[in-house]
Amino acid sequence: MIQRTLVVSAALLAVALSGFAALGGSEESVISDQIRLQASRKVVPEHGYRVHEITREDGTLIKEYVSFEGKVFGVSWKGPTLPDLSQLLGSNFAEFRNGLHPQAGRRKAAVIRTGDLVVESSGHMRAFEGRAYLNSMLPAGVTQDVVQ
Amino acid sequence: MAAAAVVLTLSLAGCGDGTSGSSSETTSTPPPVNNVQPVIVDAGPVVSGQPAGNANVLFTTVTICMPGTATCQTIDHVTVDTGSTGLRILASQLTLNLPGSMNANGQPIGNCIQFADNTYQWGPVQKADIKMAGEVASSVPIQVVGPSNFPAAPTDCTAGGTPVQTVSDLGANGILGVGLFRQDCGPACASATSPPAIYYSCPASACSITSVSVAEQLQNPVSMFPRDNNGLAITLPQVPAGGAVSVSGTLIFGVGTQANNTLSGALAQATDGFGNFTTTFNGVRYSSSFIDSGSNGLFFLDSATTGLPDCARQEAGFYCPGSTTGFSAINSGPNPNVSTTTVSTNIAFAIANAATLFNSPSYAFNNLGGSNPGAFDWGLPFFFGRTVFIGIEGRSSPAGMGPYWAY
Repeated sequence: MIQRTLVVSAALLAVALSGFAALGGSEESVISDQIRLQASRKVVPEHGYRVHEITREDGTLIKEYVSFEGKVFGVSWKGPTLPDLSQLLGSNFAEFRNGLHPQAGRRKAAVIRTGDLVVESSGHMRAFEGRAYLNSMLPAGVTQDVVQ
Repeated sequence: MAAAAVVLTLSLAGCGDGTSGSSSETTSTPPPVNNVQPVIVDAGPVVSGQPAGNANVLFTTVTICMPGTATCQTIDHVTVDTGSTGLRILASQLTLNLPGSMNANGQPIGNCIQFADNTYQWGPVQKADIKMAGEVASSVPIQVVGPSNFPAAPTDCTAGGTPVQTVSDLGANGILGVGLFRQDCGPACASATSPPAIYYSCPASACSITSVSVAEQLQNPVSMFPRDNNGLAITLPQVPAGGAVSVSGTLIFGVGTQANNTLSGALAQATDGFGNFTTTFNGVRYSSSFIDSGSNGLFFLDSATTGLPDCARQEAGFYCPGSTTGFSAINSGPNPNVSTTTVSTNIAFAIANAATLFNSPSYAFNNLGGSNPGAFDWGLPFFFGRTVFIGIEGRSSPAGMGPYWAY
């Protein structure tokens, strides 16, 4: 068992050096997020998918929802600081940003619902939370409600 | 709205009437001072000959001075924001050459504030005396937003987002953050190992994330007053369903420290460590709810849950029902004085068609609302017709220890 653990760790490290992307990306990209976020990580198996829980030192919890095919179909965040959404949303970030309509003096939540991409970002200083998912990548039998 | 209209007469002089405060300070207690600061909801600062013209923005006028001197500048139309901490003044509106804060290595300190809608403000931390009513907070770290003579915002701060650093973009000359917390970040930014992307060390070359002691972070100006420093109250009158062109009210500094800031039956509810509490709506509990004078509407849940249609693209994020619709919800939290007791308050409110409101000549609305998935953001409409007390974290008052809300 010990030997197997060591092998897995080495493999993850190798991947971490090259992986990049998040929502819609590969499971390996989760590791790059963890390193960039300087955080601890654990994997929680669920029915039909698994969740990588990344906890920053300040207590901000980031969850990345991964299908058994190894694709990140959802991400969520909650805590005192806003994670870098350009990192978490990966290739979907441009669509998120283009969908926003900044209105002067109107601070509010950011909610984007395109055909496939849904992003909900809300909260205030010291308490941010949000989630994002891709409808087309939800595993069979799994609904968007699991992304919390 | 269930609350009756409360209209306070502004009385700028003579508020320190000598009645004893209930301050528990044992060191020399300064004499009572005027603790009543006027606030207004109006069309906002003039930009290029036109008022900013945003709905439901609460403003006040702040005087800042070179620390320890009488060299001062008065800045109007600064947004009063209970959802953040610290004074932030747009560099374009600042004429004083304030001293910059330096970190332990002698480098200028940069500060980044990020908002949930992917916008940010960036700029150096500088120190100023802050004067409001008769109160003075001395040598307070503030943020000067977007000066041209400071390194550009680092990518960790911008995070692909949009700057809100001009009067036109912000709709104000600055932000007065007088929320529940004493600093904008707190102990997390003092971490030596992994501070978040809020404070930066800024040599001329480029800025990098750094740790900053709690005392050097942006401070809640109210918590730095010599007295009346345990919280504040915001009092605004009710407005008619069709809105009002402008609304005047008051900030009153301190809670239970002078004759004019007693709780008078207001019920206090402690927040959690994030400044959130539970709002119950249609039997469902939403535990990440909050009160924020810097939000210009009642933002709650989503169209599917509320039955309120979303507005079209031009007013995206707001609700546009065919007719004004009434709701009620329950806010609850522990009694700050008796934490085993839950205090609940029923809140009645209404949501009108935002597009109709925006097309009216008014700027203050009690029925402007929009979506905020999974929680309630009780924005400025919540404050109309109420006196809302803010209990600052770690400070005692007759309502108990902050952080709490009372109304």
